Amino acid sequence: MAKHKISTISAIMLTLSIVVSYITSSFPRTFINETKSATLINIVYITILVLFIILIFCNLFKRFPGLDLLDISKFLGGNILKDIIGSFFIMYFTISSSIMLRNFCESLVVIYYPLTNYVFIILMFIFSISLVNRLDFSSTLNVSSIVFPLVLISALLLFCGNLDNFSFKRIYPILGDGFYNTFILGLKNIGAFGGICYLYFLPPMLKEPQKFKKIAVISVIATGLFIFLCVATLLFMFSFFITTDEVMPLFSAARYIEFGTFFQRFESVFLLIWIISFCCFLSITCKFSTNIFNKMFNLSDMKAMSNIFILLIFALSLLPQNYAIANFLETNIYRYLRIAVGFILGITILILANIKKKKVGEKD
Amino acid sequence: MRKISSILKKIFIFILIILFITGFSSSYNSLNLDNLAFAVAIGIDKGTSNKLKVTFEFIAPSPSSESGAETSPVLNTVECSSITNGINMMNAYLGKKVNLSHCKLIIFSEELAKNGISDEVYSLINEVQVRPSANIVVSKCNTKYYIENSVPSLESLIPRYYDIFPNTSEYTGYTCNATIGDFFNALVCNSCSPYAILGGINTSDYNSNSSENQISDNSTIKSNESPITGSRVSQNIGLAVFKDDKLAGELNAIETICFLNMRKEVDSFLVSIQNPENPEETNSKIDIYLTPNTTHKITVNLVNGAPYIKIKLEFSGKIYSMSKNSQYLNNNILNSISNSCNNYLETQFSNYLYKTSTIFESDINGLGVYALSKFSTSSKFNDYNWLDNYKNCTFDVEINTVIDSGFLLTQT
Repeated sequence: MAKHKISTISAIMLTLSIVVSYITSSFPRTFINETKSATLINIVYITILVLFIILIFCNLFKRFPGLDLLDISKFLGGNILKDIIGSFFIMYFTISSSIMLRNFCESLVVIYYPLTNYVFIILMFIFSISLVNRLDFSSTLNVSSIVFPLVLISALLLFCGNLDNFSFKRIYPILGDGFYNTFILGLKNIGAFGGICYLYFLPPMLKEPQKFKKIAVISVIATGLFIFLCVATLLFMFSFFITTDEVMPLFSAARYIEFGTFFQRFESVFLLIWIISFCCFLSITCKFSTNIFNKMFNLSDMKAMSNIFILLIFALSLLPQNYAIANFLETNIYRYLRIAVGFILGITILILANIKKKKVGEKD
Repeated sequence: MRKISSILKKIFIFILIILFITGFSSSYNSLNLDNLAFAVAIGIDKGTSNKLKVTFEFIAPSPSSESGAETSPVLNTVECSSITNGINMMNAYLGKKVNLSHCKLIIFSEELAKNGISDEVYSLINEVQVRPSANIVVSKCNTKYYIENSVPSLESLIPRYYDIFPNTSEYTGYTCNATIGDFFNALVCNSCSPYAILGGINTSDYNSNSSENQISDNSTIKSNESPITGSRVSQNIGLAVFKDDKLAGELNAIETICFLNMRKEVDSFLVSIQNPENPEETNSKIDIYLTPNTTHKITVNLVNGAPYIKIKLEFSGKIYSMSKNSQYLNNNILNSISNSCNNYLETQFSNYLYKTSTIFESDINGLGVYALSKFSTSSKFNDYNWLDNYKNCTFDVEINTVIDSGFLLTQT
């Protein structure tokens, strides 16, 4: 993958494609369930917080220009640490994509394929990403660059098309369930910015590595805005997401869009865009896992390894016995995994590597 | 070697195609048009031998007519323990799968609504095919009778009629575009209550028994109690008010206008007010066409723990009715009409609001949403229990109407 350099725009679209998959799943509902009417404040608060983290993160990367987290881990603890960190990230990428895939496919079964076993729908995704991964990575990036603006337009349409159904007063009580729940317990929602995990492995792939900070900052701001738009639509429209669980909350909102009696049932178009975007997410995840694995064991054939990871994602997605377990994994386990791997592990390695670099510099 | 690889690839693609055909054919078959029966309306009554009696209305294209030109409704009824069971039994009877994706109207009988309809609404919302935009009606009569008599006189297509009639709320204010999606949203909401369209059949008894005292004002009509007669006997005038999931009462036409104004869902409406130039004669009325301004202001304060709601509404109006010697360019006359209109509307709005508060104890206006800002946290709002405290509300209504003469005629 490293031989195909990624442009700045493609890199931003790549990180944003990750967040689309979270948003089209049950993530917005989890946001509203936990922070109630203070959800929007919580999103702003978390975006600012992540922005600070990302600035620290970019500064920590400054000492290692053109290196990714694996190279930095190698510098910090040799090949053993590199392999451990690599394994953690591979595990994270494959588990996350398989849980998301399972939930997304279960939702598709409910909505469109009532009599089809979810395994066939998962297989459709698996074969599509298998085909995509046979092509060059730039094709996935190009599709992401086309699809994300469409996703953004769909989110805007979702917001504007439902303006008549909005009750802006639902933003009150301004503190939702209180200061503690909004600003302390609400920190759990930081997992929504799980896309930054992919930034750890971006520097060696960038055409212009000096623009890494710009990519990271724009990605965080755009992610925050996108989440804000989608969650605001649900918060202003529905009172029931606080107490009731509904499959694909954004799909529910899309069903309300009607322009007169002629333009109705827009949700199919929305779902098509989200499916394409979801394929991009799977493909990106698979490519990153393969890349990490190849780097860990100095392998050169990416295509063969890529198929193994696709099969792994397929197998893992079949593990949850039913939708309830898959949903539990997504809302209760996966989000903490995102925080643990994406924020705590990555930044700890960077901090320790910086300390070591400083010490080595002093000795030299 | 390359040849073997190519053959293997072809075999793999062939297996893949077979696999997907097998996997998706069942869903394709179940959603195939030939296997589907599209219900355009469903009526849910209290059953006699079972919990529910569900009536499905299907449209069978008339063989003699051209496509889409004329259709005849087919009604099938089933007694069942739940809607889902009813659908299942109907599937068996029809030999087709009942599909509700084109269902425009969901009708509950008054009797059933009084006992609570949350189970049915939850089940319908759980059904992917049911559109949240499907209208919800509470029928004063048995729902089968209501559907049978809902044959439009000016439309050839019944679904089109179902699509269009709720839109009259925008220019009459006599009914409302109540949908199942809104109903469900209000049902689970802690700051508002659900409502539905009030439907019924025009009974001849009413016409023969009604006296002038009963209907002194046309705006007090509602379904089942209206002086309208025509080829279609079903009517949709007024609103059914729910407290939680149980029918709490009905609103007549003018109260529905008040409701729609509170929710900013009416573009224009007509009121008949006492002619200020002729105050002694009760039959001397002026018809005013009113348009709500966008400057509606609703504030909720808590005074000694009870909600104090201040409502300020502004309207601009034009005089519709004309008679000899009308001086509608005279400012004094216009002001006196404005004052008369203000008094009339203030009385109507106050009566309506106190009716919802003290009699129905149901916040269909969603005024609780305005109270949210008075609480620092959601739990404090939940503890306050707005829906229980709504009965203690005090309303302060202020109406400001500006009347701008007539339409084409300004002076006669």
